[in-house]
Amino acid sequence: MPRSIAIVEDEPLIRANYVEALTRFGYEVRGYASRPEAETAFALRLPELVIIDIGLGDEPEGGFDLCRALRTRAATLPILFLTARDSDLDVISGLRLGADDYLTKDVSLHQLAARISALLRRMDALRKPAEAESVIAHGPLKLEQERMRITWNGEEVPLTVTEFWMVHTMVRFPGHVKNRDQLMREAQVVVDDATITSHIKRIRKKFLAIDADFDAIDTVHGVGYRWRP
Amino acid sequence: MSLRRKLLLVALAMLALPWAGWQFVRQMEVLLRQGQEQTLIASGKALARSLAAINAELPQPGAALYVHELETPLQVDGYADDWLDLRGYSQNLGPVQDAQKLKLTLAEDAAWFYLLAEVRDATRRRADARDGQVQQADRIELSLGRGEGERSYLIASAAPGSFDAVPRGADGAGLPVSLNGEWQEDAAGYRIELRLPRAQRPERLSLRLIDAGGSSDSVVTLERLPLLAYSATLAAELAQFAPESTRARLISGEGWLLAESGELAAGPADTTTPQPSALARWSYRWLIAPSLQGTESLAQSRPRVDAAELWQALSGVPSASWRAGAGQGDVVLVAALPLQLRGEIRGALVLEQVNTALPLLTDAALQRLALVSIAALLLAGGVLFVFATWLSVRIRRLRDGAERALAADGRIQGRVPLTDTRDELGDLARSFQQLLDAVGAYTDYLRTLASKLSHELHTPLAIVKSSLDNLEHHPISSDARAYVVRARDGADRLTHIVRAMSESSRMERAIASADGEDFDLAEVVRGCADAYRPLAAPRRVDCEVPAQRVPMHGAPELIAQALDKLFDNARSFTPESGWIRISLDSVADGALLRVANQGPELPLAMQGRLFDSLVSLREGASRGEAPHLGLGLYVVRLVAERHGGSAAAHNLASGDGVEFTLRLRGMPREPVLATRRMR
Repeated sequence: MPRSIAIVEDEPLIRANYVEALTRFGYEVRGYASRPEAETAFALRLPELVIIDIGLGDEPEGGFDLCRALRTRAATLPILFLTARDSDLDVISGLRLGADDYLTKDVSLHQLAARISALLRRMDALRKPAEAESVIAHGPLKLEQERMRITWNGEEVPLTVTEFWMVHTMVRFPGHVKNRDQLMREAQVVVDDATITSHIKRIRKKFLAIDADFDAIDTVHGVGYRWRP
Repeated sequence: MSLRRKLLLVALAMLALPWAGWQFVRQMEVLLRQGQEQTLIASGKALARSLAAINAELPQPGAALYVHELETPLQVDGYADDWLDLRGYSQNLGPVQDAQKLKLTLAEDAAWFYLLAEVRDATRRRADARDGQVQQADRIELSLGRGEGERSYLIASAAPGSFDAVPRGADGAGLPVSLNGEWQEDAAGYRIELRLPRAQRPERLSLRLIDAGGSSDSVVTLERLPLLAYSATLAAELAQFAPESTRARLISGEGWLLAESGELAAGPADTTTPQPSALARWSYRWLIAPSLQGTESLAQSRPRVDAAELWQALSGVPSASWRAGAGQGDVVLVAALPLQLRGEIRGALVLEQVNTALPLLTDAALQRLALVSIAALLLAGGVLFVFATWLSVRIRRLRDGAERALAADGRIQGRVPLTDTRDELGDLARSFQQLLDAVGAYTDYLRTLASKLSHELHTPLAIVKSSLDNLEHHPISSDARAYVVRARDGADRLTHIVRAMSESSRMERAIASADGEDFDLAEVVRGCADAYRPLAAPRRVDCEVPAQRVPMHGAPELIAQALDKLFDNARSFTPESGWIRISLDSVADGALLRVANQGPELPLAMQGRLFDSLVSLREGASRGEAPHLGLGLYVVRLVAERHGGSAAAHNLASGDGVEFTLRLRGMPREPVLATRRMR
């Protein structure tokens, strides 16, 4: 049975393209043009993953409202923001509301598909007991690949998919410097250098929130970042 | 000329105040004078009435002969030498056309009564009085009267020398029987000098001068002229009634002094009232008393008074005048008024008063005026100065505020001062503020235009890209696929452009929100330089970084990013065989980061604007390269400014390259962080 995905997007052409493309990837996709329409549909049946635009028709923050409503109903439902807005503030607001990732609209369909499958895989993995072989442990860090879950000193670090992939890229070869292009490629995003910097900054903050002495991510100026071996 | 000076100049208009005051004081002085004149005239009138009431011996109207008082006796010798003092007062009694034909002078001393007659007569006919020829000779018939009695004498002489006058008429009434005198001659005429005892002094005098000519005699006749003299009795009466500290003179209808009392020298006032100072006298004389037109000759006591005031009084109209007194600053008030008895003008009274009180009074007023007006002038000047200062300070504040409000890059920062005040400057400030707000809104619009535009372009771009993605999964011919590839290429480039357009605002936000940390700038620069080497090859990258730590508080990522931009910029302008030099120097208040490269020099016009947004020196981006919107150096500047420094670019002195300089001082430490650190 194909996985069900909902796309809430007010721009019909984009919606049609995404619906078509994701359908081709084998998902059961439904598009909604506005928040009320989506909420009415979600009241009947929740999809397994939701992709939301922030500005919905007349409601410039409709996507945020929808995300908040969905998160209260389903704590684990993967939610992706896909929007034309790229300011840090919007990113932070979106993530604080519990979205699993935040993508700008210049992401390619392949990158989007990769995220969707990763998120769905994680949902599946969370239902099954943890598999030992997919776990990378490095010092206090424990990275469960399938569940896309990272713990530090046993405490879970709430990372988005993009952030998880970045950490994963660095942790796989501790001590190796990963430049920004590599991080971008691995994290399936196309962003500029400044955005990578702010991603790393956010990741650091999330670790610091758990452990004030965290300094496992090294900046190698002019090159990139590495996980301290 | 500054506003303050202009207002001070305007304050000079206050000088009208002392001028007006001066006019006022003068007016007051005129009034005071008029009052004094009235008073003196009134007291003169009272004096005249008193004299009339006591039946003082006032002179009869009409012509008279004046008998001068003598201190010393005269030598009767026919020569006028010892009459010298009096000859000025000789009465010219000749005919109207030749008044000096007969000059008569009378005098008396304690014992004698003297007569000097000077006759101009170039054609002499001489005969003695007793000669029968005397009727054809030049002669004088002198007739003296005393009481009812009258006696005539014939005076003639054939030769100079003593003469005996031949008396005529019988009754003598105490008049001498004969008159002895001296007769002297010269080319112009002859002189008769005679005397008689004071006791026999006549009261009237008649005289006939007969100048015998060939065909006809010319005759000068004086009929019964009364004799007038200074009268001690009248003087005593005058003294009795005259006001104090006043000189009073009784003058006959022809100006002869009949009586005098009082002294002009300052009266009793000088003991009680202070004398005005020299300055006061001077200022009175030159500033207040404008016209002292009184006759100067009145000052002296002369037998005959010749003054316009007197003649006016003698015509029946009292007059008053002022003249300068003997003392410096003194003024003398002169009042002359007719002395009337039963409707006849019998003479005139001349009263004089020295006035020091008036100068004192007006001078005090003047001094007070000067003080008050100086004080007012200073006060007004001070107030105006303060006001002008306040005004210009406000205007300067407004100007500075307006200048400061518009930053170099066109952003509006802060508000114009004075917008809350209600006056015209407030209006001006509000207009400024409106203007600046409009400019600010426009600048903001321009600044955000790129990012707004890029935001708006995201959606259509997403449509194109997702459509292309979808198209890939449809079977299309290989010919058509080429077009898809081209479309994708175009879309990618468009994506770059859109991203670059929003980059500046994103960078601005990122830079503004960056947190500071303590780090070693030398290590960052060294790391960057190492990373650049492979990228720059085959260009040479030199790195001159001090071995010791260069501590800095800031965001190392941002500095590395700025360095990236500078390096990127340098690399693109450096020829393949060229060099790039990155150097770091620790300076007193921070660090100096320099990136120099070999390559073309900067155009002079661009040097100041290089670090502005959307300024690029590059020509159109070549195919396949990322578009260049000139944001790189703008980001560099923002980073430098975030670290309390500045960015500059200049050509190398050697002329073969360009150097970019970043001055970094460090981010301001946030107080929250500092306290956390302290704990």
